[in-house]
Amino acid sequence: MLGKMSLRSQKRLLLFSFVTVPLLLLVTFAYYPAMELIRLSFTNWNGISADKAFIGWANYKEVFSNPDIFGVFRNNVAYFVVGIVQNIVAIYFAVVLNSKLKGKKFFRLLLFLPYILNGVAVAYLFGYVFDTTSGSLNYLLGQLGFDKLAETSWLGNTSIVNYSLASIGFWRFMGFNMVIYLAALQSIPNDLYEAASIDGANGWQKFFYITMPNIYKIIELNLFLTVTGALEVFDLPFVLTKGGPGGASETFVMKIIETAFQFNNYGLASAMSVVLLLFVIIVLSIQRYLLNRKGD
Amino acid sequence: MKKRISLIVSIFVMLTTLAACSGNGGSTSNGNEPAASKEPTASTQGDGEEAAGSDISGEVVFLTHRTDMVDTEYLEYKKRFEEKYPNVDLKFEGILDYDATLKVRMASGTFPDLVMVPTIPNNELSEHFAPLNDIEFSGDIYFADLKAYEGNMYGVSSGASTVGIVYNKKAFQQAGITEIPQTYDAFLEAAQKLKDAGIIPLASNFKDKWPLDAWVYDVPTLFAETTAHQNNRAGTDTPYTMDNEYGKSWSMLRELYEKGFLEKDINSTNWEQSKKDVASGKFAMYLLGNWVINQVIENGAASEDIGFFPFPVDNSGKVKAPLNPDWFYGVNKDGNVAAAKAFLKFLIEESGYDDYSGFISTLKSKEPKLGQLAEFNGYNPTFYEPVQPVDAATQIQNKAQLDQAAVVQEFVLSKEPQKVLDKVNASWAKAKKDLGL
Repeated sequence: MLGKMSLRSQKRLLLFSFVTVPLLLLVTFAYYPAMELIRLSFTNWNGISADKAFIGWANYKEVFSNPDIFGVFRNNVAYFVVGIVQNIVAIYFAVVLNSKLKGKKFFRLLLFLPYILNGVAVAYLFGYVFDTTSGSLNYLLGQLGFDKLAETSWLGNTSIVNYSLASIGFWRFMGFNMVIYLAALQSIPNDLYEAASIDGANGWQKFFYITMPNIYKIIELNLFLTVTGALEVFDLPFVLTKGGPGGASETFVMKIIETAFQFNNYGLASAMSVVLLLFVIIVLSIQRYLLNRKGD
Repeated sequence: MKKRISLIVSIFVMLTTLAACSGNGGSTSNGNEPAASKEPTASTQGDGEEAAGSDISGEVVFLTHRTDMVDTEYLEYKKRFEEKYPNVDLKFEGILDYDATLKVRMASGTFPDLVMVPTIPNNELSEHFAPLNDIEFSGDIYFADLKAYEGNMYGVSSGASTVGIVYNKKAFQQAGITEIPQTYDAFLEAAQKLKDAGIIPLASNFKDKWPLDAWVYDVPTLFAETTAHQNNRAGTDTPYTMDNEYGKSWSMLRELYEKGFLEKDINSTNWEQSKKDVASGKFAMYLLGNWVINQVIENGAASEDIGFFPFPVDNSGKVKAPLNPDWFYGVNKDGNVAAAKAFLKFLIEESGYDDYSGFISTLKSKEPKLGQLAEFNGYNPTFYEPVQPVDAATQIQNKAQLDQAAVVQEFVLSKEPQKVLDKVNASWAKAKKDLGL
């Protein structure tokens, strides 16, 4: 049968059949649910009843007008701040571990290991670290002689709880960022550095004028991961604080889940998801604009 | 330029993939294809009617939240039940995150024959569940009209529990407390003695939020001497005031906190550890349901060292206690109704599930086996049974996105508790107005 076709249409048929399967998967599991999400966001569906009344933009109005909903983004800021620091530290370690250092493979492994651990397991683990009365962190501080500091309630103080939680994310994801940076660093040809050395450049100059421009795209990628991670963080506060004390560590995704599954307001929760999606796009656009201002 | 376009496209693809992730809640659970859901309904309905007509037989699946019992206790129930009804093939399925998972499965149109009724409004019960009025129990049952609508009962409680002070007798002894406090002042005195003896008086498990439910539902019941307070909120714009049952209850918890009668840092509590600490006498008391007694014993306390008494909220000396239902069994109206009903009756009357779980039996006449419950009943408390929840109150609460346990946390920690109440009342009033109630 194929023999009768021209080479051109054979080629087309082949291409088409290869592309169909992944496209179908993508449509079924990504685009269709996304479309459904947007459709649901205009309804007042309660998650169980058969009727879904169309209520226009009311859900979106609610998201933006209710400070209890939109205000929780404040709590995500901590993750964002710590995420930036995390990237800087990751670059630092990547550069250090890319140099001639004894046992660097061991250190790389050590820093990367936390990433392999399951998120909920990590959260439980840090529950014991941050415990006020019998936690290992406060015990350590006490042994070091910081008696006042050793009584800190790391997860109970409204002004530091988000940073405590974000620092767990730091511990967990820094190694991952570092590995990505390392891969980028290793792709920079060595002769660039040699030429710079011959011209008399010092370490800082080499870093700023050779390393940085070469890993620019990778920094962008890592920042993308950090920003989306910061906006969508969920497991740590969910396990460790349940959003407490008094809602101080509640994140937007937790709020979405609560809205859908506790308050049975799937319509509003869908609208919140769509808003989160838009928010990610906006923040990323700003990031891209700022990083690419120099033009390429 | 081309590069940039491809980048934008790839970002868009990534984002939509992400959308699928975050949209999980809304989209995977919609189950709104009427054609798909109706078809199996129609076919299973036939089966159900057939089974009802003939003898009790066929496969019955029980969807349970007790995953710990699936491979142990339930096997024994299965053996005993199938001896009684040899034609029945009883199966168990245990799931976690029960309420949410079951709701998703119900929305998809098919779910097991016997389930625990999830949190849905009573007027929707008849859409999914079979009326259970025709089950002949050997006596009156508690909570018969709680999961009911228009005269039909759709749920039978798997057991009842009450809330009071679970305490470690050794810790009381050590602190020199000889008499069980019957008034609030005596309670404070006892707590002070415990504190002086280096024992933490009351384990609040403040951080975990759900243990505070006692302060949201039960302590207000004791103050108001009725369980209708949650419903009554629907009739007012200011359901939470300092001098009503909520303000009084929460101020009480605040007082205990300020006096240092709770854990050293209430924002850093550990539920699993607290059970061990109550068992060992490091913590003296819990304000929780009787279900916790068995768990404390499992964590190393001798049964005779753990006691249980009603919580004295005031100085009147009147002994009061709430009586709360546990999960309700419900029968899928499109499933194997007859066999499911038979097993439900077995669970209530013969299985021994209530004693195993440390519940008060749903059968009013049955005396609880648990020694601590006998002790509790020895104080002759007046029990307050719950009333059917009013939909309006739930609706307003959901609309206002009000998580009462979180409000309790805020109330206790805030410097100005009145402001917390004002804020909650404001959002309550707004939600009430928006809903036109």
